[in-house]
Amino acid sequence: MASAPRPERVPRLLAGCLPPYPPPPPTVGLLSMEQEETYLELYLDQCAAQDDLAPPRSPLFNPVVPYGMYILNASNPDTAFNSNPEVKETSGDFSSVDLSFLPDEVTQENKDQPVISSRHETEENSESQSLQSRLPSLSEQDIGLGLNSSSLSNSHSQLHPGDSDSVQPSPEKPNSDSLSLASITPMTPMTPVSECCGIVPQLQNIVSTVNLACKLDLKKIALHAKNAEYNPKRFAAVIMRIREPRTTALIFSSGKMVCTGAKSEEQSRLAARKYARVVQKLGFPARFLDFKIQNMVGSCDVRFPIRLEGLVLTHQQFSSYEPELFPGLIYRMVKPRIVLLIFVSGKVVLTGAKERSEIYEAFENIYPILKGFKKA
Amino acid sequence: MPGRGRCPDCGSTELVEDSHYSQSQLVCSDCGCVVTEGILTTTFSDEGNLREVTYSRSTGENEQVSRSQQRGLRRVRDLCRVLQLPPTFEDTAVAYYQQAYRHSGIRAARLQKKEVLVGCCVLITCRQHNWPLTMGAICTLLYADLDVFSSIYMQIVKLLGLDVPSLCLAELVKTYCSSFKLFQASPSVPAKYVEDKEKMLSRTLQLVELANETWLVTGRHPLPVITAATFLAWQSLQPADRLSCSLARFCKLANVDLPYPASSRLQELLAVLLRMAEQLAWLRVLRLDRRSVVKHIGDLLQHRHSLLRLAFRDGTAEVGTRGKEPPVWGQGQREGEVGNNSLGLPQGKRPASPALLLPPCMLKPPKRICPAPPVSTVTGDENISDSEIEQYLRTPQEVRDFQRAQAARQAATSVPNPP
Repeated sequence: MASAPRPERVPRLLAGCLPPYPPPPPTVGLLSMEQEETYLELYLDQCAAQDDLAPPRSPLFNPVVPYGMYILNASNPDTAFNSNPEVKETSGDFSSVDLSFLPDEVTQENKDQPVISSRHETEENSESQSLQSRLPSLSEQDIGLGLNSSSLSNSHSQLHPGDSDSVQPSPEKPNSDSLSLASITPMTPMTPVSECCGIVPQLQNIVSTVNLACKLDLKKIALHAKNAEYNPKRFAAVIMRIREPRTTALIFSSGKMVCTGAKSEEQSRLAARKYARVVQKLGFPARFLDFKIQNMVGSCDVRFPIRLEGLVLTHQQFSSYEPELFPGLIYRMVKPRIVLLIFVSGKVVLTGAKERSEIYEAFENIYPILKGFKKA
Repeated sequence: MPGRGRCPDCGSTELVEDSHYSQSQLVCSDCGCVVTEGILTTTFSDEGNLREVTYSRSTGENEQVSRSQQRGLRRVRDLCRVLQLPPTFEDTAVAYYQQAYRHSGIRAARLQKKEVLVGCCVLITCRQHNWPLTMGAICTLLYADLDVFSSIYMQIVKLLGLDVPSLCLAELVKTYCSSFKLFQASPSVPAKYVEDKEKMLSRTLQLVELANETWLVTGRHPLPVITAATFLAWQSLQPADRLSCSLARFCKLANVDLPYPASSRLQELLAVLLRMAEQLAWLRVLRLDRRSVVKHIGDLLQHRHSLLRLAFRDGTAEVGTRGKEPPVWGQGQREGEVGNNSLGLPQGKRPASPALLLPPCMLKPPKRICPAPPVSTVTGDENISDSEIEQYLRTPQEVRDFQRAQAARQAATSVPNPP
């Protein structure tokens, strides 16, 4: 059922598509202690805000907006202060920290956390150090962040030119731990974004069915409901529509109902429940049994033209291209069992899925094939 | 029997008239040698009239085949003869029809569907032999709807698991162009409009190839492109006399139906030719437009490969990086200068920067910008408020009003026609 959380739907970003780090401090000159501390807090707020869990599915809906922007938009600066002390506590040993509850993309930010916290520690440890040298090195570390441990260690050595080894290994140790954490991060099986450069199919339509388990009087429903139309000569069902989520339902006298037009599985379920409630309020003992998603339709754009004649030649057993009948190529993928409509403009429609992951998997399978036809 | 001659082998005169199955033979009763053979016939009347009976009628196979299948097979053969297809096509098409008939879904289908199935079998046969038969042609012959034809065609290809190759464009050009009635003078076709078939065919082929390379054919019905190409080829072979003739008039002269998209294909093809003309220095100074470029189509086609390379840059690489500005002008200038030098002309005006080589649907601006759907945090298990459901229900007063209105409408429609 749709009520359980779905970790597999969370996209995992490419290592190369790291979110942009917050901009470095503009002034590099000498600041007073208080100014510096407030500035540090502000900077750390930004970092911690980035580390906040973004709504897990937000990148899915807008493939064009870079991930970093989404994180910043979704950030809540108020929670930054709360997370700060946590960050400090967990700065030492990272191998024992269980990060599996976090979505994958946040583990990248977690790598930043130990570095920030260790820097914060070193700041406190070495208060006697000159203030000037700290800020520029911080900015260097920001920019050079990623998994660049060499630059970090360099900047650290810059920060503490003659310092004892007790300081240096500590930032490096969590750094290496965080790196090893990154390498062993489990890859969720159904990831929509891997080689596809951030193109994620968007769901356009979900068709679901539900059994209301009672005989219905369609004439009565059409009479008492404002949003229903019933034309028995044309079709033997009541066509009902609701505004939120914007969907249409076909309600049959046997008590079976088909709900179409939703953009996500949850919306489809909510809409079906609303229709069942309407029927209930009309006086029928309607229940909500066997809700099942029957079909999901998604679409996306690969942004380059495709030679359909070439594609039908090389993939003849799967493709059907009849320009006299339909401008698109119909590709029947075997695994997963999805039908794709591929057009010359690069737009792809995927249909026939029962699960969201099937659509993503089908697109991942077709993208390398289409890329092969990029050059005319 | 005596009086019939002697056996060539043994010389006996004892020749017996015997029939081997349905063939009458004179056999020597001594040595068994067959002296003469009659024709293979079944019925006595046929034998008497010395008429041949075909194999399919002489054997008993038709008794095992249902009447509707027999009719369908006859229709397949008739269609093949009407289209003047080679004889081997007939057997293949019949075999496909029989194969389809083995499936229960086809056996139980309506007659209209079986009729269309006949056309599908013939079409598949033609496609497999690269015979350029269009679906439109079959539909007109069968008086069938293209939608109905399309659904049955897709179904039968899937059912029989056939590999049907695409329509062969070159063959279609040859067949379609030959159907234009422009190769002989007639009362409707003045002398200046008559054209040599070979010249027109070769030029049309080149234009269609050009259209194919510049994304004008993919995803579109092939016939309107060929119509536009034929028209341009015809015009360009004698532009002085023919520029005044429009596409519609041309098709009427040639006694060919003008497909609706042909005029937009014509405009697209002219746009491509204009872009190519920009790369030729001696044409650039002429400042051609869509009408005057027709006079130079011969030259453009002669150099079409290099002109395409100069006039268009690869759209597939560019589109991916739509965000940043490609250094168009500098690149165009460089390429233009190279082009000038290779053609041995002084560097004069600069050619236009290369345009993106993309299908027309990608070059047009999008009709409406699709806004990103808002992030939805619906869980599916939210509470549904009563007020939300109430808004969809009629109040009792509204129900009464609605019923009254319905009754009034019923009364109005049931009243007989006013005098």
